[in-house]
Amino acid sequence: MTKFSRRHFAGGLLAGSTALAMPSLAFGAAPRVVVIGGGAGGATAARYIAKDSKGAIDVTLIEASKRYYTCFFSNLYLGGFRNYGSIGHNYYGLAVNRGVNVVHEWATSVDTAAKKVNLGHGGEVSYDRLVLSPGISLKYDSVPGYSPEAQSLMPHAWTSGTQVQLLRDNVLKMKKGGTFVMVPPPNPYRCPPGPYERVSMIAHLLKERNPTAKIIILDPKAKFSKQGLFMAGWEKHYPGMIEWLDPDTHGGIKKINAATMEIETDLDTFKADAASVVPAQRAGSIAMAAGVNDGDWCPINPANMTAKADPNIYVLGDASVASSMPKSGFSANSQAKVAANHIRGELTGSRVYEPRFANTCWSLIGTNDGIKVGANYKAGAEKIDVTDKFISQGDEAADVRKATYEESLGWYAGITSDMFS
Amino acid sequence: MRLFAVTVLVAGTLSTIPVQAEDLLAGADIGYGEYLSGECVTCHSQDGADKGIPSITGLDPETFATVMHAYKVGDIEHPVMKMVTSRLDAEQIASLAVFFASLPAAE
Ligand SMILES: Cc1cc2nc3c(=O)[nH]c(=O)nc-3n(C[C@H](O)[C@H](O)[C@H](O)COP(=O)(O)OP(=O)(O)OC[C@H]3O[C@@H](n4cnc5c(N)ncnc54)[C@H](O)[C@@H]3O)c2cc1C
Ligand code: HEC
Repeated sequence: MTKFSRRHFAGGLLAGSTALAMPSLAFGAAPRVVVIGGGAGGATAARYIAKDSKGAIDVTLIEASKRYYTCFFSNLYLGGFRNYGSIGHNYYGLAVNRGVNVVHEWATSVDTAAKKVNLGHGGEVSYDRLVLSPGISLKYDSVPGYSPEAQSLMPHAWTSGTQVQLLRDNVLKMKKGGTFVMVPPPNPYRCPPGPYERVSMIAHLLKERNPTAKIIILDPKAKFSKQGLFMAGWEKHYPGMIEWLDPDTHGGIKKINAATMEIETDLDTFKADAASVVPAQRAGSIAMAAGVNDGDWCPINPANMTAKADPNIYVLGDASVASSMPKSGFSANSQAKVAANHIRGELTGSRVYEPRFANTCWSLIGTNDGIKVGANYKAGAEKIDVTDKFISQGDEAADVRKATYEESLGWYAGITSDMFS
Repeated sequence: MRLFAVTVLVAGTLSTIPVQAEDLLAGADIGYGEYLSGECVTCHSQDGADKGIPSITGLDPETFATVMHAYKVGDIEHPVMKMVTSRLDAEQIASLAVFFASLPAAE
């Protein structure tokens, strides 16, 4: 086997990797990939296809927003551990370094027979392969009384952006000793530990600014992700502040009245000074428009992330039914690389390697108290199955928890550069 | 330049690693290493940035492989890297080692 020395590579390969960054000039001739959604799944897919095909594939990314505010670390912003600007990213790197044609438009429909995507302001883009990573749409009416109007009073803040800023402001404006109510979504939903990390971060903020305030969680679920770790952390950092009520206790959410800030359950009517209501979710609407959904989500073939309904369409991230893989940014990024490798193979004949999936989700409970859960997955015939997993232990020393938090900072830097650089 | 963050004990002292030093890079395939690296760079910035998670670019490939084997057998304990290495065989580790060695080292 050849042995490679660093010196050899400093000259050789590096020069090669600059060439990877050259935009495609063979317009028209090259096969075309269109990616809808420039989030964790779509930005990664666009970047890897463009980077690894070295211009042999023409990549167009259709993303409605000019700036992507990550949902990941939006909770840390709520807690005061990040400033808002630090969770925003633009598409400069994809356009300039990778030669991706970035189109800031809303994709309104897909003609799967003609292989064309229609754009909001008119115009269309044709594709050889289409990648859908549109994230989620909210099912507002899953919570009686909740609506797009109500979200300004009781922000879901589940798609990042302005809603998260509003939520933080609402919490800061709570009266002394007031009540914050969190209504988490039912399964399956984006980011299983997210609502509980959110509660932790709001508790952290209140402990500093409004220490007699209370937090009530009205959960439609009987249990939740990393529950033991979160609840122990709440007892440790915020004793007596947080009350979690399961559906057996509150009997279900009957109605929400955003104008009066009331949440009615069988048990009681809760009056909130600030609230966050996260309704049930489904795949982003464009996946429905493309007809690759079965009910709320899109079934995929685990070997390569193609939609069961259409071999020319790949569905990534939250919109897909990735079975055991949670709906996370990490999962979406991992799935994107499997799809990118397969698409390149299909369109340029490059080597297709075995699919490899992984996920790790970190959560912050309080200052320097990070926890994590992670797993490896393999593509089974029908499902993506877990092969190994780990979770933080309840009795970990403070320095381990601190290192875990610091790892999450490294991960954030890593994944965002893997999406956008 | 910094050395490996987690190990001062590499090369030689890790006796339980079932791979001979001269075979550490046997079967290395840099193209495959580049594909496999996709699952590393979600955490380890490929530009070599070193925040909370150590940079792994531009390191000596034999030492890199030794460290990977050490995580796999548990000579260095870390739940994340244990899981990562648990599904990598010697050739995959060798491929990753030569690929990451080819990237510029952290500033
Ligand atoms: C509070 C919270 C905390 C979280 N924390 C973590 C965490 O710590 N770790 C983690 O891994 N994950 C975390 N997540 C989950 C993570 O944000 C999502 O799982 C991830 O973003 C999913 O990626 P995606 O590509 O499926 O969708 P998204 O990242 O949402 O991207 C979809 C993109 O598509 C665009 N789009 C949609 N439809 C169209 C259209 N028709 N035309 C044009 N553009 C369109 C949208 O504008 C959006 O930018 C968290 C989520 C929340 C809510
Ligand atoms: C989920 C995040 C994550 C992923 C994915 C990951 N690593 Fe790591 N890696 C870490 C962390 C955290 C450490 C520090 C561990 C420690 O303290 O021992 C580390 C340490 C290392 C080290 C030792 C670095 C040093 O300076 O001592 C090497 C080498 C390494 N990883 C290689 C890899 C490779 C190769 C992959 C992909 C196959 C990978 N890692 C995937 C998080 C990750």
